[in-house]
Amino acid sequence: MIASFVLLEGVVALCLGAAALVCLFDRHLLRASCLFVVFALFMALAWLLLGAPWLALVEVVLGVVFTGACFFYALGVFSPGTTYPAYNIDAMNYYDYSRDSCSHGVTRVLLALAWCLMMGGAIRYVMPEMVYSPTEHPLVLASIVIAATAMGAFAFHRHLLRRLLAFNILGSSVFLLLAGMAGTVEGAQALISVGLSIAWLGSLLGALLIRYLLMFDHDASPRPDDGVRGQSQ
Amino acid sequence: MNAAWLPLTTLATSLLAAVAIFILPEEARRLRTSINLVAAVSKIILVTLMIGRVSEGYQDTFSFQIIGGIDFVLRADALGVMFAGLSSLLWLCTTIYAIGYLEGAANRKRFFGFFSLCVASTLGIALAGNLFTFLIFYEMLTLSTYPLVVHSGTAKALAAGRVYLRYTLTAGVVLLLGVVMLYSLTGDHSFASERGLAHYLNDHRGLLTLIFALLVGGLAVKAAMVPLHGWLPRAMVAPAPVSALLHAVAVVKAGAFGILRIIYDLYGIELSVELGVTTALAIAASITIIYGSVRAIAQQELKPRLAYSTISQVSYVVLGVSLFGPFGTIGALAHLLHQGLMKVTLFFCAGNYAEELGIHRIDEMNGAGKRMPLTSLAFTVGAFGMIGLPPIAGFITKWYLGIGAIQGGMYWVVAVLVASSTLNAMYFLPIVHRLWFRPGPAHGQGEWPKEQCLGRLETHGWLLWPAVFTALISLGAGLLAGLPFSPLDWAARVAVGEYLP
Amino acid sequence: MIWRFGLLNATFEPLWLTHWALAATLVLPILFGLLGALFSTRRVLPVALACLPILLAGGLLLIDYQQAGLLRWQWQVAGVTISLRLNGLGILMLLVTQWVGAAAALYTPGHLRLTNPGKLSRWLWPLMGVLISALSLIWVAADLLTLYAALELMGLAAVGMLLLSGKPAALVAGMRYLLLTLVGSLAYLLGVALVLGYWGQLDLQTLADVVEPGPVAWVAAALMGAGLALKAALFPLHGWLTPVHESAWTPVSALHAALVIKASLFILVMLWSILLPGTSFAPQLVAWLGMLAIVWGGLVAWRANSLKTLVASSTVAQLGYLMVVFPLLLGPDIAPLPQALAWQGFWLQLIGHALAKAAMFMAAGNLILATGESSLKGLAGSSRRLPLSLLIFGIASVTLMGLPPSAGFTAKWLLLQAMVMTQQWVAVAALLVGTLLTAAYVFRVFRYSFDEQAPRHHYQPLAPGMDLIALCLALAAFGLGLLAHLPLSLLHGGVV
Repeated sequence: MIASFVLLEGVVALCLGAAALVCLFDRHLLRASCLFVVFALFMALAWLLLGAPWLALVEVVLGVVFTGACFFYALGVFSPGTTYPAYNIDAMNYYDYSRDSCSHGVTRVLLALAWCLMMGGAIRYVMPEMVYSPTEHPLVLASIVIAATAMGAFAFHRHLLRRLLAFNILGSSVFLLLAGMAGTVEGAQALISVGLSIAWLGSLLGALLIRYLLMFDHDASPRPDDGVRGQSQ
Repeated sequence: MNAAWLPLTTLATSLLAAVAIFILPEEARRLRTSINLVAAVSKIILVTLMIGRVSEGYQDTFSFQIIGGIDFVLRADALGVMFAGLSSLLWLCTTIYAIGYLEGAANRKRFFGFFSLCVASTLGIALAGNLFTFLIFYEMLTLSTYPLVVHSGTAKALAAGRVYLRYTLTAGVVLLLGVVMLYSLTGDHSFASERGLAHYLNDHRGLLTLIFALLVGGLAVKAAMVPLHGWLPRAMVAPAPVSALLHAVAVVKAGAFGILRIIYDLYGIELSVELGVTTALAIAASITIIYGSVRAIAQQELKPRLAYSTISQVSYVVLGVSLFGPFGTIGALAHLLHQGLMKVTLFFCAGNYAEELGIHRIDEMNGAGKRMPLTSLAFTVGAFGMIGLPPIAGFITKWYLGIGAIQGGMYWVVAVLVASSTLNAMYFLPIVHRLWFRPGPAHGQGEWPKEQCLGRLETHGWLLWPAVFTALISLGAGLLAGLPFSPLDWAARVAVGEYLP
Repeated sequence: MIWRFGLLNATFEPLWLTHWALAATLVLPILFGLLGALFSTRRVLPVALACLPILLAGGLLLIDYQQAGLLRWQWQVAGVTISLRLNGLGILMLLVTQWVGAAAALYTPGHLRLTNPGKLSRWLWPLMGVLISALSLIWVAADLLTLYAALELMGLAAVGMLLLSGKPAALVAGMRYLLLTLVGSLAYLLGVALVLGYWGQLDLQTLADVVEPGPVAWVAAALMGAGLALKAALFPLHGWLTPVHESAWTPVSALHAALVIKASLFILVMLWSILLPGTSFAPQLVAWLGMLAIVWGGLVAWRANSLKTLVASSTVAQLGYLMVVFPLLLGPDIAPLPQALAWQGFWLQLIGHALAKAAMFMAAGNLILATGESSLKGLAGSSRRLPLSLLIFGIASVTLMGLPPSAGFTAKWLLLQAMVMTQQWVAVAALLVGTLLTAAYVFRVFRYSFDEQAPRHHYQPLAPGMDLIALCLALAAFGLGLLAHLPLSLLHGGVV
């Protein structure tokens, strides 16, 4: 029973890691967003496994439905209301062609490294057993890997949507880490719920912003039939 | 009986005047003029009341706590009242003069607002009862003078303002450091305290000297001591009333007055001599006196020549302070008043020449005595006073300074005084000669640079009478020096208070 | 240090009136904000009416605090303990928040009428309400969960408000700010996770008892510190600050620079004094960074070409003053007297800066609005046409320069005295150099404005009251210097 439970946990952890990695490094944005939804579903499963059914429910509602919707909205898959015309964004825009930035690369890498270092320190002291048998808590291990990668991705990516995705995955892994370190006591659950709501609100704001920026870009970019070279952002 | 309201209301008259002027619209010329004059006159009345109270032996004090252990103190003591009297008297004269001078000019609201603020700060400096309060008003003075210096808004004025701020704000920072260090060492130390800092001497000799250097270094910038004088000649681009006020009362005197306070009321004269700082100060003052006079001779324009003369003359005060002995003190204190009266006269006259005849350079002044006799008479009185000719006020201070130097055994100071008087004569007498004895446009040779007939008299009445008035007072201060309540008498009273506690 | 934050047991239970006053301070801003969204008001009177009860509630809390001393509340909600406490510092910051918030709110109608923004302005009121409520909650929160929730709410509301101007530059800057603040809060959350995992406590008072210095405390403090420093724009994590202010609306900038940044700093100091009592390395590091911040921020502001950049960069430098004090507040072996002086100076500087910076942003906004130009060169000749706005700018900058008799001066005096007593000469030098640098960039503004040989622009008249509100704030910062013992007497800790 216990062995199968640990096995199940391991499988979920593996799936989480895989979904996160692919989601972070897939340049096809629509696919990445779909993968984020899958990732969030696995997160809900992980909460269930950790014995927090309410958290799983919150994750499904906020993480899967609302946050997922935010990404699709940002991509322009659907646009509720008629506040402004829905721009037909062709398949081009689903793909991130921008080169990863090197301008602030060093500072960002340093920041990301510092972050990872602090996280390592945190694990070292709160969960000393992790040092000797890292596979005992597969979910925590997965969350560490995911957090490190997401931090790196956040530092390197330039496309706003991908940075937003990276933030969300980073957030999920931090929540998982929190639950791993502190257990799923009421305080931790409350913290995670607040964190999830904040992440959703942040994603919503971010998605709105991306839409607006896209609109400005669209207005400012040269139209083929104009013949006038406009100034692109 | 403590009349705490007295110093406070005296300070408030010019502060309130400033606020009222800022609130009034630019066009309300009459109302602004009346507010200015009413405030100036009521301040003179209040200061007279204070002088009466001090001579009866009261020290009216107003104080409240700012933070733990540090109070805001306004105290009317003999030295402070002396400076307050000078500032309030000259404020009235300068206000009248400025009203005439700025007739029809732009930005008068800003000018008079900051002018009142400037005088309020000067009064605060005079009445400050401890170093913290002194610092507050000292910095306020820096800020409120800046808009006056750059008043004309030309590139030259703005550059002068920048130089002025560079000097004074840096000095303010140095002063702040010195004051903070002193407070950390001794706590709040009132100027009225009789003890001085003598009991810190054994343990903190080096620190006390360092703090003294910081304090006096900060103050010496405003007192325009060489080599910290660079801002003063440049600030001459300001309008004439500002130059007059800056030189005679406000900024330069604030620095000199601060040095007086530090030596007499904070460190105590014995401790200063013990530390050996007075000799250093005397040497610095002598250098400034000679250097300022020499530079003044080289100037071809009237206002810069007067500016360098100020640099030289203000250091007489510092020199007098650093002579250990009652006569040096009396000379220093009396010079604080006398120099103010004479210098303000000279600047008023310079402004009159510039306004009425467009004269800025000295070689344009030929024969101006015939065209503007009263102004030229006033100028001559001021110039003779600066040289130190009897019976004008300037003679008395030089006399007392000389006696003080001989008593203190510093014979080289006498040489400095003689040399300086000679130099003074060298740069003032040619001007006087040109005024009265050279034929000029008034005699039909050439013409004035830019003649305007501003009034029925030789110039606008608002410009003329203040100059004549201050010239008469300088003359009177010399002639009637023996009477009670004359500047000399009051200076002697203060000096006696310092040396015979 | 702990007692200074009021993490003690209260002597008296709060009265029933106090409960209501607290509820009003926390809930009414959101409520009125929603009403504002509903009616989308652009008149002053309704705003003033809405501000009144909130200010009254704040006054009531002050009176209650003065009578009863430290006040504590604790509730159990679904197994989670939520605790609030109101100490002298809390009530002081609460009052500052309410008054600055009210000033910004009263300033807004005039600004909206003159700039006439699109329908986005509907969002301003609710966001402002949420911001004020979240800030008020931060000053009184006494457990990590409430702090976290309030911090995040404040952060999101602030981002939302800064975006409202809708210009592309604002959106790009806002997006950057959003992502950074979200990541910063994750760092904070991880620190909380560490604390919760190791000590099993979220309540600050209990935490203060059980925390012992060690690697866990250090790592947690570093994580929280990094996150909060990012949100507080402490040097060198300040890069997002200037672009965000560049195109934001004036009242929003004022609120953000005056309060939002300070809230993160407040939490930082509070948590570090719990987690790192008597360590020297971290506060020293912050102090060195602070000195760099003073110089760097001053230089950037000095070279700035636009008025708003200047005002925003000066925030970086002013925060440097606060950072320099860290070793005195948190360091080991600090004698009680310098520590008390530094403590008072720190908060006085913070409050003075909040008031002055809000006034300065408003004055700058007025100048930009009236001249129609945002560059310094555009100010030429404004001393004749816009003397009042310029005077307000001047009074506010006196506080920033730390010249007497402003709050900035008294604060600087306290800090200098503490530093001279503890022989921290480098910090003293930094503070004094900061004064000169501030003067350098402030007087650059005046130099342009005093220029009389400038082409005359068309000047847009300002709405009545816009200058008046800014003037009140500037005068408050100015007068606080002489009346410093009033706020400082509140600061003397939670014990009566």
